[in-house]
Amino acid sequence: MNPKTLKYILKRIILAVFTIWVVITLTFFIMHAVPGGPFVGEKAVTPQVQQAMEAKYGLDKPLFQQYLTYLNDVCHLRFGPSLKQRGRMVIDIITDGLKTSAKLGVIAAAIATVMGVILGSFAALRRNTLLDRIIMVITTAFVSMPSFIMGSLLLVTFTVRMHVFPANGSTAAGLILPVITLMLYPMSYITRLTRSSMLDVLGQDYIRTAKAKGVSRVNVIFKHALKNALIPVITYLGPELAYITTGSLVVEQIFAVPGIGRAFVNSITNRDYTLIMGTTIVLSTFIVIMNLVSDIMYKVVDPRINLE
Amino acid sequence: MKVKKLFALALSAVMVLGLAACGDSAANTSTSDSGAATADAGTVTDKTQALNVCLASEPATLDPALNSSVDGATLCLHLFSGLAKWEEDASGNLVIVPDCATELPEGVPNADGTVTYTYTLKDGLKWSDGQDVKAGDFVFAWNRAAGTDLAADYGYMFELVKGYDEIWQSKETGEKDADGNPVMEFVNPDAKLAVEAPDDKTLVVTCTTAVSYWNELLAFPAYFPVREDVVANESWATDPSTYVGNGAYTMTKWDHNSLITLTKNDQYVEADKVTMPQINFFLSDDANNMLTNFKNGDWQLIDDVPTNEIASLKNEYPDAFKVTGQLGTYYVCWNINEDILPADSGLEGAEAEAARQDIRNAISLLFDRNYICESVAQGGQVPASSFVAMGLTDADGKEFYQNAGHNDGFAGYYNVAPEALQDNFNAAVETLKKYYTYDEASGKFTNVPALVYLYNTSEGHKAIAEYLQSALAGIGITMNLENQEWNTFLDTRKAGNFSVARNGWLGDYNDPISFLDMWTSQSGNNDCQFGKGANEKTQAYSLDLTDLGYETKVENGTWAETYDVIIADIKSCTDTNTRYELMHRAEDLLMSTGCICPLYYYTDLYMQDPELQGYFSSPLGYKYFMYCHY
Repeated sequence: MNPKTLKYILKRIILAVFTIWVVITLTFFIMHAVPGGPFVGEKAVTPQVQQAMEAKYGLDKPLFQQYLTYLNDVCHLRFGPSLKQRGRMVIDIITDGLKTSAKLGVIAAAIATVMGVILGSFAALRRNTLLDRIIMVITTAFVSMPSFIMGSLLLVTFTVRMHVFPANGSTAAGLILPVITLMLYPMSYITRLTRSSMLDVLGQDYIRTAKAKGVSRVNVIFKHALKNALIPVITYLGPELAYITTGSLVVEQIFAVPGIGRAFVNSITNRDYTLIMGTTIVLSTFIVIMNLVSDIMYKVVDPRINLE
Repeated sequence: MKVKKLFALALSAVMVLGLAACGDSAANTSTSDSGAATADAGTVTDKTQALNVCLASEPATLDPALNSSVDGATLCLHLFSGLAKWEEDASGNLVIVPDCATELPEGVPNADGTVTYTYTLKDGLKWSDGQDVKAGDFVFAWNRAAGTDLAADYGYMFELVKGYDEIWQSKETGEKDADGNPVMEFVNPDAKLAVEAPDDKTLVVTCTTAVSYWNELLAFPAYFPVREDVVANESWATDPSTYVGNGAYTMTKWDHNSLITLTKNDQYVEADKVTMPQINFFLSDDANNMLTNFKNGDWQLIDDVPTNEIASLKNEYPDAFKVTGQLGTYYVCWNINEDILPADSGLEGAEAEAARQDIRNAISLLFDRNYICESVAQGGQVPASSFVAMGLTDADGKEFYQNAGHNDGFAGYYNVAPEALQDNFNAAVETLKKYYTYDEASGKFTNVPALVYLYNTSEGHKAIAEYLQSALAGIGITMNLENQEWNTFLDTRKAGNFSVARNGWLGDYNDPISFLDMWTSQSGNNDCQFGKGANEKTQAYSLDLTDLGYETKVENGTWAETYDVIIADIKSCTDTNTRYELMHRAEDLLMSTGCICPLYYYTDLYMQDPELQGYFSSPLGYKYFMYCHY
């Protein structure tokens, strides 16, 4: 790897840390500016109880001091206790949520990628046939349909009407529908990406040369065409994982999957300050890393791209 | 080029593995956490051996002292046993019976007006880890639950016990905090409740006064025992391996946000009465999701149904769709400091307040509560005519609300019968004509200041808000609707930044005082802002208690001089009949302000497998599954 690339990567890492700091700072102050608080409920607690609770969690200190204390804690990877789920640590809640979300995300990403490449290659090789048209129509539909509509449709069809899958996402069978909902968009995107990239490659001179030299059809497709056609797909993996992570916020809510997305949404409703911060930091760090990795991969797979 | 491609491949592999690694490491921790308990739980599918229910999403806590939710309380009362508990007697009535105590004796009055109760614990009481339950565990648990260190939401449930006031007595230190509010400190940091354990079997507790609901309090989760060495671990109540109870069940599994499994505790002293071997509490707050699982037959009881499905469920599942009463009232509250008089009224002070009371009371008469219950809310709710809810008992054994309002021919403060609607409407219009200009031709008022109705974002509340809006629009009163997200809404309403707002209250125990003491001028639940802001100095209230043997006689006093006084009198009153009469007078005063416009009494809707036997719920909505069977 040349020094220029290394310098670029280093610069990007510094920028990533800066981005996360900005996210922490913005979230912290916006969160405290929003009305309400973690100890507000339909039944008000007495002022003495409120004060005792605020003192216990350091919320009685000036806001900027709380911010500095929090930054210091985060630098030492201390996310503190949840303010609402008393007795539980934020890191435990996040780990529990990630366990489920990661399972969902990895399965969805893997299926989306494999299916997308297969469908895309078929469409390209059978260009302008009925099969190609069908694939294109379906993928266009899936790309344009938001996940909350897709999720609700699947839920109504397969759970409410046909009773095929359970509605509760906490069981293994209950993960099938959320996985399908999550994978449809990236799968369709990859299908279209592979198709156009494949068509582009198949029209290149070197493919014609290979064919002219008598290379078998299978060899032309797998050894020469597909290998190069996959470059854009590889670079899409980063954004794909980022999409699946953020997309799961909605999907987890629809299917009641106990993942990090649901923990995040609930923490905001509850004003569980420490949990809001914890989940925001984890999710934003993940997305920042995925973007960084995919940018680096652009450069690595295609040297023509100028990173500067 | 080849090397670069390999590098790209390696990077993408790292990304996928990174995600997978998260999953793996987390999965490992969870297995080691739950340990052996996981092996024997969660696999039972026969509904006679394991009941599957869903009440709500993950409870905020299962520490009985900290819990403040109905679903959390339901779990706690399966996991713990207090001095008393609710049970269904042979004729199906709910009664309070001794649980850890051998009996529930009457209190012995002391010379200073306090009452002392002495309880003897049953033999053979065990914690789920095998240790003996001692009277000292109750002493510790009660002081913990009532104390300032824990600062529990329901700490005030101990305010009857002598010593509670001393614990919470505080004074200003003279310093100000970041928001400019005075910093307070507790005067008696070492104060304790008057509860003692002379030996391991005997518990002696002294209350400031005798109340009829004392035994009910003993069955309330905050009064359950916990052991000092168990709760020393701050996260004891978040994992089955550290969760030690003394109830009918032990917790054998807790997949956070997903499932809590309780397994019958054979060491429980009345284990022979417990018929359901295992209960799985699925954790979800999605009503559609619950309904789907119920229809599938996966879950046998669900505590919520989607509002828009209620009508069809009643027809489709007549045996499964259930409605029970709940101690609560859904109402509209006015901000007492909101000026609703026309700009040229010329009224000020107490006169203006008297006029506003008249107006607010008149507007309360305009709404068709039967229409709201039957066509809007649709959950079997009961039209309300008083603030103290249906289901609370009066001194004479009748319902408190039936004796409220002192009106002949109907219960409460106004007649909510469908046939009275037109009369109510006419009376309301006549009253409003005294203050506003009425255009006879159009039948509308022309100079009523526009109101804003605040509610928290929800389809149900919105539908009711729209009905109220249209009812007022019919006589020319404009009411705009504004909705806010739940936590923001609570903050706005509490701070009094509204003119009219949606409100609801669920009682904590079967005594009207839990609906009345919230309106004192210093109470945090005083959303109407009585005795606050401009109303603090308004001398518009009268109170005469001389006929009940009290010296209190106030004419044109402030809210603090009248309402706060009567509530203090109720809390120190030892005579049952006088106490209930005082509570009626307090509600009379409250309702005379017109700031509270009750719409309906809450009901609890749920779906229950029609074949399920032995299930019941308490007046507070706590659900009892231990005696369930098929």
